[in-house]
Amino acid sequence: MVFDFFQKVSRAPTNPRTPTKAHEFDVADLYRGPVPDAADGAEPAQRALDEKLRQAYFWIVNKAIISPHYDIEYNDGPAQTFVVGDSKRVLTLPSGQSYSSYVLLPLLTFATRRKCLFVGGPGRGKTASAILMGVLAGSPVREVRRAMQHGHPQMTIADLLGNPLPADLVAAQSMDQIRIAWRAWLSMRVKIIDEYNRIPTRTQSALLTVMGDNYAEVLNQVFECPESAWYLTANDDQGGGTYQVIDALRDRIDVVVQALAFNPRFLAELLVRIEEDARPEELVPRELVFGEEEIGAMGREVRAVAVPPDVRRRLEFFASQFELSEAAGGQFEYMTKDTARLSGREWREVTAADTGRDRLKDLGCQTRNGVSVRNLMTLILYAKALAWFRGNQEVELEDVRQVLPFVLHDKLHPDLDAPFFAAPENAAYRFDRVSWLRHLFDLSGAEFLRLDLERDDPVGELAAQFALGLDDVSERETRARLVKIEKLIGTLTKGRKLYGHLYDDLLKLKYLHQRYTNYLAWLRAQ
Amino acid sequence: MITGAFGAALAAHRDRFNARMREARRRTPALAPDVVAVFLQECAAPLVDAVAAQAPARVDAVVDAVYEAALALAARKSIGPGARSQLLAEAWTGTFAAFASLVVAQPAPVLGMLSNAIVYLDALPGTRPRQWLAEMAALAPRIESAAQLAVVGQIAAWRAGAAHFREGAIGAADGLPAALAVAALRAPENMELQALLMQMIDEPWWRGVGDEAREDLELGAFTGFGGAFATPPQVRAAQDRFVVRSGERYFTLMVDAYGAVLQPAGADDFDRAEAGHTAHTLDGDVLQLGARRIALDLPPAGLALCATRSTIAIVSPFTHAIRLLRR
Repeated sequence: MVFDFFQKVSRAPTNPRTPTKAHEFDVADLYRGPVPDAADGAEPAQRALDEKLRQAYFWIVNKAIISPHYDIEYNDGPAQTFVVGDSKRVLTLPSGQSYSSYVLLPLLTFATRRKCLFVGGPGRGKTASAILMGVLAGSPVREVRRAMQHGHPQMTIADLLGNPLPADLVAAQSMDQIRIAWRAWLSMRVKIIDEYNRIPTRTQSALLTVMGDNYAEVLNQVFECPESAWYLTANDDQGGGTYQVIDALRDRIDVVVQALAFNPRFLAELLVRIEEDARPEELVPRELVFGEEEIGAMGREVRAVAVPPDVRRRLEFFASQFELSEAAGGQFEYMTKDTARLSGREWREVTAADTGRDRLKDLGCQTRNGVSVRNLMTLILYAKALAWFRGNQEVELEDVRQVLPFVLHDKLHPDLDAPFFAAPENAAYRFDRVSWLRHLFDLSGAEFLRLDLERDDPVGELAAQFALGLDDVSERETRARLVKIEKLIGTLTKGRKLYGHLYDDLLKLKYLHQRYTNYLAWLRAQ
Repeated sequence: MITGAFGAALAAHRDRFNARMREARRRTPALAPDVVAVFLQECAAPLVDAVAAQAPARVDAVVDAVYEAALALAARKSIGPGARSQLLAEAWTGTFAAFASLVVAQPAPVLGMLSNAIVYLDALPGTRPRQWLAEMAALAPRIESAAQLAVVGQIAAWRAGAAHFREGAIGAADGLPAALAVAALRAPENMELQALLMQMIDEPWWRGVGDEAREDLELGAFTGFGGAFATPPQVRAAQDRFVVRSGERYFTLMVDAYGAVLQPAGADDFDRAEAGHTAHTLDGDVLQLGARRIALDLPPAGLALCATRSTIAIVSPFTHAIRLLRR
């Protein structure tokens, strides 16, 4: 009976709604008549992949990992809220289908073949979750366990990647004659590194090559790894562990999820497992296992999800807040926190010199760095993945808001000396990075609305006009656009403090001005 | 709906065509898929049908080139409701099928040449792209290769008003079969090609058989009205062409019996050019050039004349236009 219980997969749609598919150009529309073609029969199966992943999600949260935390909240209408305790924290009962980040983010990582770090104290199921992902990819549990790499202080590059064959070492006349016995995990579609922060620094560098460039190298021999999803675990994501994790390796991790505390109210379910000697990872229903083709198709479907301009604009505005550091640069383009970081000077020297702005209001003052291109790409991909997982063809603002803290968890570093964190009502954000990042996004959204950029975005209009292309734009029109840009810069800079979003707007206007200037020169040479 | 060989070729490579559309839209967000769809159905189908009738084995390659051309043209807004003119779409629909045998041999180069020529002439002030299209259609059965197509196209473009192609066209005509060259140039059929070309090089106002007899043209207008000149132009002579200055900009002006074209030039060109004085007298608003009397609609004050070996240019501070007369 217990085995039946674990094997049961929801037959009802996990997210009942009318499936909508954005109309995309298809040459088939040009030659296909009203009668369905047999050759198109494969499509419905592909469309069901999001449903299959949702079924996997619900199987994991209901049967495999006892995870009662629904921290990714969606609302279809007003939600019930309760203010609790002396700290006046809000408990929300979401009115829409909500999710547990601890299961959802690893699954989205699986669908997009990215890299996920589980953090949390010992015994909270980090490794078990990673193994489940390996099983979902179609590998037997035993194989997944054997392929899992366990970080330890004596781990060598050979332990991680493979050994040269001893006979070849003796007989070889040149390096290319030395064959390598590559470790089996390198060819796995799901790669698991347990306790990665216990790996020595030199071995971390070898791991970085595999993670970053997808190949392994020993004695000039190269092993090309297949595209794969990565799961790493760490007891402490702040650089603790036996060895400090090198920055480049941390930067390769796409999302960080925290294993939240076990709620003893669910002890009865643990009891069942003990009494029946059931291990969920050994009982994954076959219909939830994804083939290699399906994993590839999921990735393609996720990438095809559209990001509407209004959502993209909000994300642009958010990302614009953090890079500006007026005191760090003499030339306009170099006024960035990265310039300050590269100088090697003390951070407080930079903040002390940064005067004039409202440091409480300016969101940029809450961080010590900006959002990198890699971070933004990851954020967009995970937002697409979440939208796709929810059965949508377009990303909603809420999708971005929900994945953002997990993507930027280890990337956007708070400046805990900033006035924002000194306010008593913000004290919790010093510890809870997920909530701080989500709050930061909300503050950015509120500022966006206050500035009325949703309706009045002259820089966006100029950029959109430019994006239409320069074909057939006359010399007269080009000059008019140049004047318009110059006037707008005059308006934007007149008596205003420089904030991050304004800084990026001005750089964008400079870019447009330069493009039109070059085009004008070309036009005159015609 | 697209049927037959065209439809089968699209179906055979559906994923690739869809991927190409996605890629093109990423590069040019303004590209409208509907424009491509309509173009393929309405404009490209006659050509592909003609190819299918001649060489069924080449349909896939031709459809490939047609699809690429459709994406490129839609991205540049050369087709569709937003196009400057519908001439290109008309040419694809009505004329391109005449070039089917050339398209079969070299789909992408031939379609590129034909389309680019129409787009170019359509955007060049003072030219007659419809004339170019009509002459090309008439000559199509006699053209045997893409190389010949390029030369015939250049000759036809010159005859359609692109005066800057004159020298190149005359030079390239020498490489064509004599009968095709004579036909393209609209020369008398009994004329020997080399003699004809020599005569044409020396005489910019040479005209083909049946061509309109024009001995004067007007060119240029105020930039505010879409012209090239911000201020009334000044003209100087440089061998058989003129160099024009208007405000801070300089142009080379080439003129012959078929038209006049401005090309960009530098201040050095203007400085090096000569005044091009020519003897003339003014009798009220009538210009006396030797025995010729030419009525002007301009005040005599500030009137300036500049002459090359074959042409006289007249400018005035009261107009942004240049009047050009056969000498």
